[in-house]
Amino acid sequence: MTALLETRGVTQRFSGLVANSDVSISVGRGEIVGLIGPNGAGKSTMFNLIAGVMRPTEGSIWFDGEDVTRMPAAERCQRGIGRTFQVVKSFETMSVIDNVIVGALVRTTTMREARRKAHEVLEFAGLAARADVLASQLIPSEKRRLEVARALATQPKLLLLDEVLTGLTPIEAQTGVDLVRRVRETGVTVLMVEHVMEIVMPLVDRAIVLDLGKVLVEGSPKDVVRNPKVITAYLGDRHAVGA
Amino acid sequence: MDKNFAARRRRELMIAGCLAAVAALVPLFVKDVYVQNIMVLTLMYAALSQSWNILSGYCGQISLGHALYFGLGAYATALLFTKFGVLPWFGMLSGGLISALIAMALGYPCFRLRGHYFVIATIVIAEIALLLFQNWNWAGAALGIDIPVRRDSWLTFQFTRSKLPYFYFALVLAAIAWFVTWWLEDSKWGYWWRAVKDNPDAAESLGVVVFNSKMGAAAVSAFLTAVGGGFYAQFVSYIDPESVMGFQFSLLMALPAVLGGIGTLWGPMLGAVILIPLTELTRSFIGGSGRGVDLIVYGTLIVLISLAQPQGLIELFSRRRKAVAP
Repeated sequence: MTALLETRGVTQRFSGLVANSDVSISVGRGEIVGLIGPNGAGKSTMFNLIAGVMRPTEGSIWFDGEDVTRMPAAERCQRGIGRTFQVVKSFETMSVIDNVIVGALVRTTTMREARRKAHEVLEFAGLAARADVLASQLIPSEKRRLEVARALATQPKLLLLDEVLTGLTPIEAQTGVDLVRRVRETGVTVLMVEHVMEIVMPLVDRAIVLDLGKVLVEGSPKDVVRNPKVITAYLGDRHAVGA
Repeated sequence: MDKNFAARRRRELMIAGCLAAVAALVPLFVKDVYVQNIMVLTLMYAALSQSWNILSGYCGQISLGHALYFGLGAYATALLFTKFGVLPWFGMLSGGLISALIAMALGYPCFRLRGHYFVIATIVIAEIALLLFQNWNWAGAALGIDIPVRRDSWLTFQFTRSKLPYFYFALVLAAIAWFVTWWLEDSKWGYWWRAVKDNPDAAESLGVVVFNSKMGAAAVSAFLTAVGGGFYAQFVSYIDPESVMGFQFSLLMALPAVLGGIGTLWGPMLGAVILIPLTELTRSFIGGSGRGVDLIVYGTLIVLISLAQPQGLIELFSRRRKAVAP
């Protein structure tokens, strides 16, 4: 079976700066894949290219056997790519349930069905009690969960999570990890960008490490964390000696 | 929770029905023509502001050029009637359709602009249209169009002896604008618009085609505004570019919604009911003698209201409701 998501030789330049260079990665159906790397490695750029915020300078992006390289973000969502934002982008003047309804409306035209789906997703994300609160009144960890709930309401095949676990307290992060696991159990493929290795590694089936815009290492979490190249990229040359 | 929601929607509809019924009875007790005139204008601006609110309040695309659509509606109705004998009813509809098309044609380049640049574009476009009409000889240029007065008739929508027919038509217009807003509020479009207003990037990621949403809002908004313009042309039976396409109309459409509560269902109504009588009364009681005194009073009152209630006057009601709720 073909991979759900595949990037082929994706390069992204911002005038002189090369953010990504010749990145070819793939994500199989049902996997949880972590996209990690130090600051400035090109994770977010890669993420935005997959989500359709911008078009790559070179290369192509394939989703579910289809070339989506030039497809706008909204259409990719219709095809089954859901995403969250690193800096949360809730609809602040709308209630929590209304936020989720916007997502649910991609799959249905009847408001009754959208509302039912939204309640179901809020229940799943543990936000049911906050349904009628304004999104602006949520605490940060709840806003993160709202991001996930909203994306789930679009019933994605692939869920892109952009640092949803970063900056949370350990308990909140654990709740987040559980949520991601449960998402995968429903058959959704997950590609998550994370900065904090110790949270991601136990969660993912496979990790892809980006450094300086290129794929540095790819493999099981266990192998990746021991890889000298990864240690060098994160900590600098000195620490790699003898590793 | 769903039951609550459905109940709230039904309650809003019932309140609106009751208010419309009460409003319909008012002329039975108020015979003064001057007051009736104010009531007609109040209802008209309520309808216009409600239409403006769809694009600017719900979808967040602040337009200060809605005078363009108002004027187009007025001119379409007046020109079709005087030049081709088309009844105003069809004139208003054609004005609405023309405006909706023009709104989309203008939206095509303008909706790529964000924030202040969009607002500036709307002002400039309306001013250009004003200049074009001032120099368009066939349409009467700066002299405007005198709509010939014939017998009082619903067919030609002309009444010289009584303001009441205009009052009831304006009431129906306001009711329609309210109902369209109410209906759209709980539809795919309503949710898309609010999402686009709050965060276009997030909306796009959730499958909302931002550009189409804005175009839809612009078309509906322009259509309703133009119908109001057509009504105004019949009501005053004389129009010229400045009196239907002047910048002040753009403001008078925006102000009630902003004052009452922008992006809310009841805001424009509430704002119009307070603002329009205030405009007319300050003009007739303290205007005239010292030039501009009425405007100073009027401006001061608006500033005071917005300072006291920056979210719009409608908040007064919602706060009370929240306090009552457990």
